[in-house]
Amino acid sequence: MEIKNLSKRYNGIPALTNISLSVKAGEIHGIVGANGSGKSTLLNILSGSPLIRETGGYHGEISFAGNRVNLKNCAEAIRMGIGMVHQEFALLPDLTIAENIKLSREHTHKFTDRLFGPKYSFIDRKRNDESAARILQKLRLHLDVDVKIINLSTNTRQFVEIARVIDRTDLKLLLLDEPTAVLSRDDGLNLIAVFREMAQNGLGILFISHRLEEMQQICDRVTVFRDGAIVSSYEQGEISIKNLARDMIGHTVHKATAPKREIKARPAISFQQFSVKMPGEEINGLDLTVFEGEILGLTSLSGHGKLALGYGVMGMYPTGGEVIYENKKIDRMDAKANILNGIYVLPDDRQALGMLPEHSLADNIIFTGNQIKNLFSINFGRPFSGFIDRKKADAHVHQLVRNFEIKCASLKQKSKELSGGNQQKVCIARALTLNPKLLIVAEPTRGIDISAKEKILQMLLDINRKNHTTIVIASSELDELKRVCDRIAVMVDGKIFKILLPDASETEFGLALAGEEGTKNEEF
Amino acid sequence: MKNFSIKPPQVIILIFLIVLIGLAYVLQMDLIVLFNESLIKLVMNGVLVLSLIPMLNAGAGMNFGLPVGITGGLVGLCIAVNFRLTGFSGFFMSLLLSVPICGMLGWLYGLILNRVKGREEIAGTFIGFSVIPLMNYFWTLAPFQNRQMLYPIGGQGLRPKISLEPYFYNVLDQFCLIKIGGIEIPLGLLAFYGLICLFLYLFFRSKVGRAIIATGENEAFSKLSGIDIAGIRLIAVILSTILAGIGICVYSQSYGFIQLYDEPLSMYFPAISAVLIGGSTGRRTYIFEAVLGAYLLQTIYLLTVPIANQILIPEVTEILRTLITYSIILYALLYRDKRGIVH
Repeated sequence: MEIKNLSKRYNGIPALTNISLSVKAGEIHGIVGANGSGKSTLLNILSGSPLIRETGGYHGEISFAGNRVNLKNCAEAIRMGIGMVHQEFALLPDLTIAENIKLSREHTHKFTDRLFGPKYSFIDRKRNDESAARILQKLRLHLDVDVKIINLSTNTRQFVEIARVIDRTDLKLLLLDEPTAVLSRDDGLNLIAVFREMAQNGLGILFISHRLEEMQQICDRVTVFRDGAIVSSYEQGEISIKNLARDMIGHTVHKATAPKREIKARPAISFQQFSVKMPGEEINGLDLTVFEGEILGLTSLSGHGKLALGYGVMGMYPTGGEVIYENKKIDRMDAKANILNGIYVLPDDRQALGMLPEHSLADNIIFTGNQIKNLFSINFGRPFSGFIDRKKADAHVHQLVRNFEIKCASLKQKSKELSGGNQQKVCIARALTLNPKLLIVAEPTRGIDISAKEKILQMLLDINRKNHTTIVIASSELDELKRVCDRIAVMVDGKIFKILLPDASETEFGLALAGEEGTKNEEF
Repeated sequence: MKNFSIKPPQVIILIFLIVLIGLAYVLQMDLIVLFNESLIKLVMNGVLVLSLIPMLNAGAGMNFGLPVGITGGLVGLCIAVNFRLTGFSGFFMSLLLSVPICGMLGWLYGLILNRVKGREEIAGTFIGFSVIPLMNYFWTLAPFQNRQMLYPIGGQGLRPKISLEPYFYNVLDQFCLIKIGGIEIPLGLLAFYGLICLFLYLFFRSKVGRAIIATGENEAFSKLSGIDIAGIRLIAVILSTILAGIGICVYSQSYGFIQLYDEPLSMYFPAISAVLIGGSTGRRTYIFEAVLGAYLLQTIYLLTVPIANQILIPEVTEILRTLITYSIILYALLYRDKRGIVH
């Protein structure tokens, strides 16, 4: 497999630019990169995902086994012998292991083949089970193949998923998207041994993982992606975890916006063994103390729990553990009570959770303040309480729109018509209207253009400095966090892995994100 | 407020209406009488149509459980008739009685709907269906005394159709009736309708009302903003049910009969059709849309019968009428945006 100058754009935003790499038969080629660096896009292109075609196809050349190919759909990729193991499971939970492994490649009874045609033929269960068991043995797994998937652990499911792909006899290239992410370390090593064996039998493997240690062990070559481009690549022997981590995060120009300072204040909020059951972003036994007046950054790879904190505090998902806010324990994660106590959360998903798209931006800004704190309302007594004092509200909104430079046709413009950056400004304006003591913001700059990003970071800084609001920013944009935060907590697997100062080196962050202990002299 | 765009249902309805008016003119029917009638029909059905708005705005969808509110209103009416109250006292007493009864029913109905979030419409349909047989027992067994309400033979159980002629038939229709030439404007009736519209308008300006609209538009956002979603939805359902009760009172005094037993089942499809014809998409609905829809649909209903009689093919118009009622609902179900549901 040879890739030359591969580029892909989503709606004009480049996801991959001029990628050139090759995978030889019998080689394991590793790819590492931070979230959004284009790894998944590459795999989507190679596996012929329809998503790529729907968004305008790709540019560049892909040749496979010496022939130039144009991958249009999954079926074509499969015909050519490309198999992919997905990050999310693509198994049918109500079927047995054997049925899942052999799905669409079942052994059938010869007689009924002729009678009804292969499509409607009866399945030979015995042979299916046998062949499935053989495959699982290849993976060093001894399982009853009649067990339904729904009863299996995540670990085993991953193995079944892999078994499903390697069952194919025509397999020439295997694409692995973080196959070991959900596995325990032992199982991961076990799996890696299997991959090595397969590679020795002439299979080409493209291996994506966040576990740098694995990369070092398994790969013949490693390529590092950053922002959709190849930063560096190493041959076996020169691969070092440190280098990979450094290249992954990258050196970016610092637009230092916040001067460093020491915060030695009372704790504003502290979490003890806090857990949030948010599917895909679970927090599991988090211990964290946020000091009054500081800006705390919270970062992790996606799926490790940084986004769940705010939702947990607002009671959007079931929570466990203890939260102590202003020396009082919060018994129930109730949004109203918490807002009244001065906690406010801005969600990462602006469209779905962050605003009322059909309402005007003015209504969006004053909504929560008006509902919870009765701001801007004229009171005629029940039941006609809380008509909005339009004059007062408009004056307030006008002030904020001017201060934050929110670009809009009028205060009555629907918020769905605003650009992403302006929508985020509206959200922050709403938070400011509430004048919270603690503000938890998730991904404040996601999907926003560069200049608006800086403006929004500046807004957060201003709120922190002028109103003495404690701010927790959960973000995957490490260099932004480094510019505005006083401390940065790195989460792995729903726990705080390490708390670093913003001037810690790129390597340290890279290692921490990957959950690797680096040198042993970090400050906590 | 909102950009009103004309969508296929409105186009079809308008064409149908114009054809009907044209036919009526060609057939030399008295258009003024028809116009007078149309105003009465508007209010007669209009309150029921308005009653859908709170639930639509709360994101609970079209109230297919309208029979719940209707039966509540019918109980109020029956009690008022049982005490032989006439004129305004009878009408207002039935309103006064229906409000708490509907409030109770709405509360129960709302509790159920809160448990089937996202599937309110289908749940409402079946709640409506199950209320009917339950109330059928009530109609037959309740100890009503007024002999004019009871079956003439046996003297037990309410009649399916109770005449309001001796009590408060047309009391609102005739109140402040202004005659200009041939045109009759039922000012009292329109004022009553206007008052309910005004109440709804003010309600949705109030804090609770705005919370209802926000919840309907983005439930997750409202939850994150500290709004008690279940409570807000309950208020909307109760309000819808109470308005449905008032709606049936207005309807009955215009129609002249209290229709019991299975009759409430035939009332909710036209109401839902009307609000959709007015331009609602099954989500946020403006009062104007409900009024417009009620007027358009009821005027069509009004025109089809005499025209059918004149040109002696009654089936055709009746079929078209039914077709419109149902296909509009189907259209709305097909083309509405999916709403985001969180938990």
